[in-house]
Amino acid sequence: MQQIEFDTKWTMVIDVDKCTGCGACMVSCQAENNIAPMEDGSNKLKTLTWLLVYELNNGKDFPERESAYLPRPCMQCGKPACVPVCPVVATTKDEEGGIVSQIYPRCIGCRYCMAACPYHARYFGWFDPIWPEGMEKALSPSTSTRPRGVVEKCNFCHSRLLDARARARAEDMDPNKLPDGWYKPACLEACPTGAISFGDSKNPEHKVHDLIKDKNAFRLLESLGMDPQVYYISRRDWVREQSDNHLPKDKH
Amino acid sequence: MGIDRRTFIQLVTGGVVGSLFTPVIWKSLDDAAIWSQNWPWIPRLKYGQITEQATLSKFGPSPCSLTVKSVGGSPYVVKGNVENEMSKGGVDAISAGGAQLLYSPSRVNGPMKKVADGKYESISWEEAEKMLSEKLSAVKGQAGKLAIVSGDATGTSSEVLSAFAAGMGSSDCYLMPGDEQAAAVALDNMGGSGQIGYDLDNSDFVLFIGADAMNSWGSVVRNQRVYSEMRPTGEDLKSVYVYAGPFLNSTASSSDKWIPVAPGTGAIFSLGLAYHMLNSGSSASASDFADFKTLVMSRFTPDKVEKAIGVAPGVMAGLAKQLMSASAPLVISGSEFGQGAGAVDIIAATALNMLLGRVGEKGGMKLLADLPLAVDSAVSRTELSSRDFAGYLAAVASDKVKAPEVLLAYEANPVYAMPQADTMAAAIAKVPFLVSFSTWMDETASKADLIMPNPHSFERFDDAQTPYGVGVAMLSACAPVTEPIYNGKSTIDVVLGVASGLGIDLGYESAEAVLQAKAEKAGADWDSLVGGAAFVSDSTESGSLKFAASVLSKAVAMPKGGEIALAPYAKLNVGSSTVAIPPLNCVTISKFELQGKDLFVQINGVTAKKLNVSEGSKVKLTGTGGECVARVHINEGVMNDVIAAPLGFGHTAWDVFSRGKGDNISKILTVGTEPGTGMAVWTSSFVSIA
Repeated sequence: MQQIEFDTKWTMVIDVDKCTGCGACMVSCQAENNIAPMEDGSNKLKTLTWLLVYELNNGKDFPERESAYLPRPCMQCGKPACVPVCPVVATTKDEEGGIVSQIYPRCIGCRYCMAACPYHARYFGWFDPIWPEGMEKALSPSTSTRPRGVVEKCNFCHSRLLDARARARAEDMDPNKLPDGWYKPACLEACPTGAISFGDSKNPEHKVHDLIKDKNAFRLLESLGMDPQVYYISRRDWVREQSDNHLPKDKH
Repeated sequence: MGIDRRTFIQLVTGGVVGSLFTPVIWKSLDDAAIWSQNWPWIPRLKYGQITEQATLSKFGPSPCSLTVKSVGGSPYVVKGNVENEMSKGGVDAISAGGAQLLYSPSRVNGPMKKVADGKYESISWEEAEKMLSEKLSAVKGQAGKLAIVSGDATGTSSEVLSAFAAGMGSSDCYLMPGDEQAAAVALDNMGGSGQIGYDLDNSDFVLFIGADAMNSWGSVVRNQRVYSEMRPTGEDLKSVYVYAGPFLNSTASSSDKWIPVAPGTGAIFSLGLAYHMLNSGSSASASDFADFKTLVMSRFTPDKVEKAIGVAPGVMAGLAKQLMSASAPLVISGSEFGQGAGAVDIIAATALNMLLGRVGEKGGMKLLADLPLAVDSAVSRTELSSRDFAGYLAAVASDKVKAPEVLLAYEANPVYAMPQADTMAAAIAKVPFLVSFSTWMDETASKADLIMPNPHSFERFDDAQTPYGVGVAMLSACAPVTEPIYNGKSTIDVVLGVASGLGIDLGYESAEAVLQAKAEKAGADWDSLVGGAAFVSDSTESGSLKFAASVLSKAVAMPKGGEIALAPYAKLNVGSSTVAIPPLNCVTISKFELQGKDLFVQINGVTAKKLNVSEGSKVKLTGTGGECVARVHINEGVMNDVIAAPLGFGHTAWDVFSRGKGDNISKILTVGTEPGTGMAVWTSSFVSIA
């Protein structure tokens, strides 16, 4: 499949060794993106969580057990599986630094994209969003509310990119060459352990430019060739092995 | 000319092809798709000027300094305030949804009094204050008739409450249980003064014994920020972390090493390490060093420690060696769930810091000076911290102490959150007049005779002084960032007004004036504080500590063994002792902790086999004061003969986001008395399983 390269590549790097699974990123994502609260959050098949924190373990018995937490946003793949299967072109890999966008009013809810996404990063709105009375006053002005019946996903808090570009224009700077740290998704801003880094991996002045080349950096299911724009870092071998569905019988 | 089949097909095909080239159909379909998604019950966004303002949130066990973003005056999202030392730019999982909590269905929207059949009737503030004044007037000057419990360990509000209690002739003003209580009692026994603090920022080797620094111990968000700074992504680590505790919790999983140690045995672990240090020639200039050394060398030898807690001598010796060879080691002890630990755990850990020469040193343990009191007649922070509310309630429950006539609960939910919850709730039920100053319709409010709601954190003036665990004394404050949504009134204002009516002069007329005075006396600039800055003081207490060997000798007992120990744990995304599951947080709860209404507890495979249970088995856990129902999840991150169980579930009040989900593990905690100090402890709780 043809891959379009952009001058900017917005990239997230998550340090798995620093994530404590506290959930602040998930809550911040819910607030920033107007995801309505769900009474039964334990139904993981029908909840909406654009960012989900998975708990991993090394599979060994006590006392050899180790665990880790892995936050999983949309991978914003360079060669996204979700885009070509959308019959109404509701999802595209647009020009904005390689963010895979999702146009809600155009989505017909067929869920082909969900079936295609190997990262389970897309969510179907099974229910109409209902905010407790008054809570609609705390809606973020930056993300539209969605009805049930459409597919939703993380977009790296794309409205914050627009805000950062507007600020750059106001300060007479190039909106396509944002300084490091001007554009921060909500999850990064909330993360108390600083496990999330974000920036343009094509810009040498951005920290992620070097982080993605770290010897411990990896991407999930890299062998599928989706070219995700989310990288992870872990010093632990077993964490890196699980990232590509490594099985015990496989050779290292 | 007739229409034959060929002409018909040409017409149809032509029509179909033609329709593909007209935009009408496509535009209509697009419009239909958009129209079909614009249902009137889906709210429209509101636009307006976006502003940012600093505030404090106190939903978790430690305060968090935030910047609130508002649109058209309505807060909608928060971020950490990087300019503030108290939480160093971090946000906890409750505060992250703080703006949405303004509209929580659990909020109390005005003063209410209980009427018949347990129902409530809205009343005016004048009537509520009159009711309160009358009840208080009847007990004024009579010892034992008024008790106050505050869930705010850092606010000057607790000063106002303790001064008010003193003016009323009551000495029963308490804080809800927390690690600071054990630390205050420990420090008193060691002959020290001030507040124990830990300079995590400058330590290169941190050993946490029990203390779950990433979830419940100390200033959690600040701990997480320091952890982050010491382990920069993609760079070399600046500090080593080791966790000793019963469960592979967040602190253990993010540490370099986890050493399994059963709950309630932290002091034995510490003294086992002390043996190796003493054996290597470590010493400290303390009046009872010889007694301490004799105690450790006789009762905490490697073989005895291994027999008691199962940690091999080689592991202990290796860890002791690591600590002694680090340039800035630090040992921190506390409960695995932020409450209920004994003073001996802190004394034993302090002994290690003393042997390592780390007391008063950069990157070590500090004795922080209390900031000056704002209210002259208030009880000192150290004394307030050391008071034992669990012990007091247990005495009321067993009729050793007469129940007070009036109990005031400020930002506290003792009916739900106390250990041995049913017993403690029964003790509170003996109180003839219970007043709740809660923002939320929590379990205590729903039993109260009078509810006087305190505004939400974002709607009020407030402050926070030196949260337990931080390495320097500090003060932060906040002003309201939004207009009040409901008819709340600052509890400080209520208490000042009622006190004045009862002839008790607390020296101030408003909450803002008290907080400003606190800032002024501390030497801080009020405007800077409400602007988001933290005042930081390097003032520390002088004087040397002793080992309190006599207390250690009495209080540290070797476990009998053979029982199933309960290891509760607390996670901020599930709420705290004062806030139940916030609406936005439901989805963050693990499927291994809650499914539907079923709570899950965790045990490892060996323990499961021993108990004859398997994944998903429904079990009844029975403790001294109650029982809980839960399902089993097999997790090899739990040590043998231990059940790890999450706190924060099983609410009976609040709203649909938290009510009726799971069971309250606090019910099966067992409150005991620590020999040597007499304080109530509940980290060593054992359960039977059926």
